[in-house]
Amino acid sequence: MNKQQIMSDLNTIFCQVLNKTSLELSEETSAKDVDGWNSLTNMQIISDAEKHFNIRFKLREIIKMKNVGELCDAIQSKVSI
Amino acid sequence: MSTTFDELIVRPLLHSLSSCQDNNAFYIEGRFYSYRDMAEAISKIRAVIKNIPEVNVGLVANDDIETYASIFALWLEGKCYVPLHPEQPIQRCLDIVSQVGMNYILDSSETSRYNDIQVIMTRRLSFDKLHLEYVGNFSDDDLAYILFTSGSTGKPKGVPLCRGNVAGFVDAFHAMDIKLDSNDHCLQMFDLTFDLSVQSYLIPLLIGACVYTVSPKRIKYEAVFELLDEQNLTFALMVPSVIHYLRPYMDEIDAPSMRYSLFCGEALPLDDTECWSRCIPNARIDNVYGPTENTIYCTDYIFKREGENKESNGVLTIGKSMKGTQTIIVDDKNEILPANEKGELCLAGVQLTPGYWNNPDKNQEAFFLKDGTRFYRTGDICTMDSDGDILYFGRKDSQVKIQGFRIELSEIECVARKFYDNRIAVVAIPLYDNNRNCTIQLVVESTDRASAYTLDSYLKEYLPPYMIPQRIHFMERFPLNVNNKIDRKKITTLL
Repeated sequence: MNKQQIMSDLNTIFCQVLNKTSLELSEETSAKDVDGWNSLTNMQIISDAEKHFNIRFKLREIIKMKNVGELCDAIQSKVSI
Repeated sequence: MSTTFDELIVRPLLHSLSSCQDNNAFYIEGRFYSYRDMAEAISKIRAVIKNIPEVNVGLVANDDIETYASIFALWLEGKCYVPLHPEQPIQRCLDIVSQVGMNYILDSSETSRYNDIQVIMTRRLSFDKLHLEYVGNFSDDDLAYILFTSGSTGKPKGVPLCRGNVAGFVDAFHAMDIKLDSNDHCLQMFDLTFDLSVQSYLIPLLIGACVYTVSPKRIKYEAVFELLDEQNLTFALMVPSVIHYLRPYMDEIDAPSMRYSLFCGEALPLDDTECWSRCIPNARIDNVYGPTENTIYCTDYIFKREGENKESNGVLTIGKSMKGTQTIIVDDKNEILPANEKGELCLAGVQLTPGYWNNPDKNQEAFFLKDGTRFYRTGDICTMDSDGDILYFGRKDSQVKIQGFRIELSEIECVARKFYDNRIAVVAIPLYDNNRNCTIQLVVESTDRASAYTLDSYLKEYLPPYMIPQRIHFMERFPLNVNNKIDRKKITTLL
């Protein structure tokens, strides 16, 4: 699965969880840049991404993801296994 | 033994600054700062603020050494800090500045959001020489800090705490028999606008230990786990939502270094606590409780690893009153209830605020005298058993707690109604999912769905991020109950 596709799927997941009609996520986007991306919605985003891509993250992997690009990379490495 | 602010706070702090110079005092954003760094930061700020003629000084609550040093510089000069959150709407912060009547703000930011007021840019000050002398002509009735919490009338309300209140807390903390020393690694995960931060930065500095802060830019539970995992935390006061969010990952957490794990700020679920206790096999776990009005916390329960723990509806007991605090449960005539009967928990003692800032109506409502003692009504519905252990059942009013933040639903409603010029009814509803996570939903009695976007922007101008409703719903007519009042329960079921 290519990165562009993962970014686009993530965009949809973020919009659903954060209740927004559109969001312009970039690889550098992090929690402080997006209204409503907090502890609770972060849990929901991770959980929805795990379901959508059929993967499971370890906690130590999650805390290393400092922005959307790193989340995307982590998904890509798991999906391609 | 003396229990004054000077004896319990100033003297131990000055001792840490002078005799633990090479110890780490802070770990902030991946960098350590020694007690020498702290002493220099305090000194450079003190040199400037000693000329400020006013007692109450605003402090932009950033996560850096200058901000923490500012607090101690102010206290050594007998002044009081009023934290202003850098991420909260400027309108709300300016309202606080005007309510207190402040003319000076200490700000460690690169550029300040404040104009038309004297701003001291603390990061730009340069260190000349140490100023750790202390004259101490101050009274324990002088103020130490003023915090603003959600107010039901649409404006935040100020809770001033005196030096004597803070000293009372430190004295009660010592009596809990928590043995910390200069080798401890202590967590500080709270914004400085939240009073649990005071315990988190103050207690470690009094004994020469290191404070590990959580950046406000990070997702809290992730940042806490990272510090736990990589920095071997030994003492941590947290809100229960941290372990609630970590619950799916508990089999991955092993933190044998943790010695004391305290919880405060919201109800602590017994099942989360039991799971957490297996992640920190060597720690004592305490559930502590207290409103800002009674300085940080004032009741304590030690979780039993073996044997039964007292609980109500799956929520752990908040235990007994700590040293210096008196707790009673009363009915609506302020009569003390017998054991195990539900009523309102009221608090008195050395940690109690002198009263809300310039708010005689609220003071009349929230405080009362009983047999010569002044009590504060917490609004928490509780019982006390014959051992003196207190169980929490819920709120008397419409206050909810989200991740420890106090939210008056009526404050959100007030601001939303103002948006519609008070012509349209609105209700803010707390909604709980299957995992007991709470979100705020705002319901507007209107079909004008197009107003949602501008309403949302308006709310963000006046309310802090944790008070912004997750969703805005529209209903043509609100259902009414038998008393012709808006039926909130019915509305909840319709969402």
